[in-house]
Amino acid sequence: MNLPIAEETLHTMFERMLPANVDDADIYIEHTSSEGISLEEGMVKHVSASTDQGIGARVIVGEASGHACSDCFDIPSLMQVADAARTISRDPNQSQVMPIHTKRATRQLYQKQSPVMGVTFIERRQLLEEIDTLARSLDPRVKQVFASINNGFKDVYILRLDGALLHDARPMVNFRVSVIVEDGIQRETGAAGGGGRFSLSELFASGEAQRLTREAVRLALLNLDAIDAPAGPMPVVLGAGWPGILLHEAIGHGLEGDFNRKGTSAFSDQMGKRIAAKGVNVVDDGTIAKRRGSLNMDDEGTPTQCTPLIEDGILVGYMQDKLNARLMGEKSTGNGRRESYASPVLPRMTNTFMLGGDTDPQDIIASLDKGIYAVNFSGGQVDITSGKFVFTTSEAYSVEHGKIVAPLKNVTLIGHGPDVLKQVSMIGNDMKLDPGVGTCGKEGQSVPVGVGLPTLRVDKMIVGGTSS
Amino acid sequence: MNPLEEISCKLLAHVKKLDIVDADVLAVRQTSDALNIRHGQTESIEREDAQGIGLRAFVQQKNGLAFASASSSDLSDQGLEALAKQVVAMAQVSAPDTDAMPPSGAPHPSQQPQHPVAKEIWLREKALQAALNCEQAALNEGETIQNSEGASAAYGLTHQCYASADGFVGSHRQSYASLSVAVIAQQGQDMQRDYEYSRAVTGSQLDDPAHIGRMAAQRTNRRLGAKSAQSGNMTVIFEPRVAASLLGHLASAVNGQSIMQKRSFLQDAVGKTLFPEWVHISDLPDHPLGWSFQPFDGEGCATQASELIEHGKLGFYPCNRYVAQRMNIPHTAHAKRGLTGDIGMGTHNLLWHPGQQSQQDLIADIKKGVLITELMGSGINGVTGDYSRGAAGFMIENGVITHPLHEMTIAGKLPQMFKNIRAVGNDLRWFGNRGVASVVIDGMTVAGQA
Repeated sequence: MNLPIAEETLHTMFERMLPANVDDADIYIEHTSSEGISLEEGMVKHVSASTDQGIGARVIVGEASGHACSDCFDIPSLMQVADAARTISRDPNQSQVMPIHTKRATRQLYQKQSPVMGVTFIERRQLLEEIDTLARSLDPRVKQVFASINNGFKDVYILRLDGALLHDARPMVNFRVSVIVEDGIQRETGAAGGGGRFSLSELFASGEAQRLTREAVRLALLNLDAIDAPAGPMPVVLGAGWPGILLHEAIGHGLEGDFNRKGTSAFSDQMGKRIAAKGVNVVDDGTIAKRRGSLNMDDEGTPTQCTPLIEDGILVGYMQDKLNARLMGEKSTGNGRRESYASPVLPRMTNTFMLGGDTDPQDIIASLDKGIYAVNFSGGQVDITSGKFVFTTSEAYSVEHGKIVAPLKNVTLIGHGPDVLKQVSMIGNDMKLDPGVGTCGKEGQSVPVGVGLPTLRVDKMIVGGTSS
Repeated sequence: MNPLEEISCKLLAHVKKLDIVDADVLAVRQTSDALNIRHGQTESIEREDAQGIGLRAFVQQKNGLAFASASSSDLSDQGLEALAKQVVAMAQVSAPDTDAMPPSGAPHPSQQPQHPVAKEIWLREKALQAALNCEQAALNEGETIQNSEGASAAYGLTHQCYASADGFVGSHRQSYASLSVAVIAQQGQDMQRDYEYSRAVTGSQLDDPAHIGRMAAQRTNRRLGAKSAQSGNMTVIFEPRVAASLLGHLASAVNGQSIMQKRSFLQDAVGKTLFPEWVHISDLPDHPLGWSFQPFDGEGCATQASELIEHGKLGFYPCNRYVAQRMNIPHTAHAKRGLTGDIGMGTHNLLWHPGQQSQQDLIADIKKGVLITELMGSGINGVTGDYSRGAAGFMIENGVITHPLHEMTIAGKLPQMFKNIRAVGNDLRWFGNRGVASVVIDGMTVAGQA
């Protein structure tokens, strides 16, 4: 999409909004279109779409920022936005405004076109109907199937204080399926999903939707046999892929620049210190092609990068936006993100994962004398300050004498962020990224993220089950 | 007519030119202001002005009615026309549904009660001063409180309009003001955070800022020195802030959609005893302290006060018109609707009627147990009712609080937890659309390091 507001108008806004003592400022313009189609009871009951546009202006003076936004692009509204953002400064003098110049993107991690690319709603409906038939054919105990396809396309324009005008077009597709199985009076559920920054036709051609459907049915049937999980501290082996949510919750949030600048993170003042066992390497990488958490540039116009966070167990980096980087004497790592034009920029993760080690995953499971093997998770949460974090299994097994014994009911694990990676004793050679389902919430803003992990042994975590 | 009602009717006029059977519209406009201060300095100010309109249209297909929905923030005449055409085209893709419930003829309210909206919700200078006073009071609460995440003041106005093709047009306004503060307490390596807040219709109705600050600091300080819990089966008391989540789990489990989809552990439960017989939970759409003020629901249907749990028995499944029709259960006017997406359903303002005893009295009756002040994660299986969450709180021994606890989990099964409720306190507080006091539950599994 073309820039929806004339360059001269943006220049006029900057003239009104920049006080002489400005440290940073930007104008962020967004146009988003999204579509959804969902199936239940064998029918596509609902088709929906939304179109949203808006502008957010920001003026930063020292540690203070003024934000204003509007979804109207008429001149009076835009000037009100400029004036409101400026009220953060009491300086009556104007700053000089740099001439606007268009800056081209240096790379393209995903397609520039909408993910729809001619895939009609009818074709999407047909895929969902096929998924419904497939799920029911896999086992007669499958009683309900819910499946949905969502796609979005977000055009972002950013005018920076230096006059650079940047553009990024961000596609996103997502497929989700969940089933309910019944066996006598017992009912259980299983779910799976995946997606990323690519087209609907790629999603369709990959067979991923069918694979995820089999996975959802397998999980639901497995849950029918699940027994109560144990309660108390024990060794835990985490499977490869989505269990990387451990990193996201246990250390990721605690390494975001804002919490560390303010000294409110359990990792504040830990730079250069050991926070994980030897051999543990963790990065945040926004540059992986087509991944859900990837971006050509962040929401401040900074190119994303691969940022080392932990090297051989030592804390080596924080994730930064421009404001926190400047105040901490560092450089932005391209992690400045916002949910929309109406939200302030915060340092956020992109794709956060641990690099693989050299141990065979089978040997890691076999090392468990008595513990649990957690293959998949539903979600998690962290208290940044105390460092306590939780995540909840969606597929886990009890293990005794190195052998898998029985599937366990969903159970919450709790640990202490600054300690948990020191408890890592074995790292698998099977690093895997998640299928593209992650959404991270911070201060009420949701952004898409990715995680990844090799099979990992953690010597002690508290398992929150009910059986002793 | 106000501008939002005018624009809603304009969109319906565009729709009527197209080949449709029925349609309804939701339009929203909101303005909001927020400011954050930290260590006595302004950290940010935010100003938002946003509007949007959503349309749902029903078309006749060969085998019945089908519908689709879409939303836009473009309220120009061309924008509205394009939106109408888009929805009608999309509705051709949806499957026809013999139970479809087009909006016309729904039981609309005859008159619309309005929440009182003040002329001035708050003034920026006053909000700033309140935030500064709030944080300062927290930082004055002793030398352990040295760091702050800051105080925030926010206020705004939301104006909503619902209109349907049968001529019903209804709108209501709701204003809010809120003040919150979060501080950090530190003692050696131990660092803890907690917060307090107040929310009301106008700034002048908020709790005293200094009181909010002191409460936040006291909550944070008392967490210092926390240990992990001993594992075992014990009595758990949820303070009101976390007890509100129990009402949330109940509301999800009885939601008409969950029941229709067989996703609930409370299938076929209407009329059955779920709680001890002295438990009463009401749904009050016009309660002055609940945030979810709803003179009519998301389908323009008149709402009314109702008893969700009476003498421990479930009164009804909250549902919209489609689920009522499809499952042949009474319609309860609980439709919830966003600008776009399927029409969902849910309770309005749930009030769990308080008991007689103070929280202190409840604790005095517990020989060995845990007071829960924070819950983490979402370890609830809505289909089976299995419950497992991270928690922080305080150890109770022989009727008194002995020390703070963290890094523990509590687990159980919701149907059993509901039945095992021993008492409800008199310390009622409202959290959004849920009013609840302390709740005591016997027989939960606590897991910790030992």
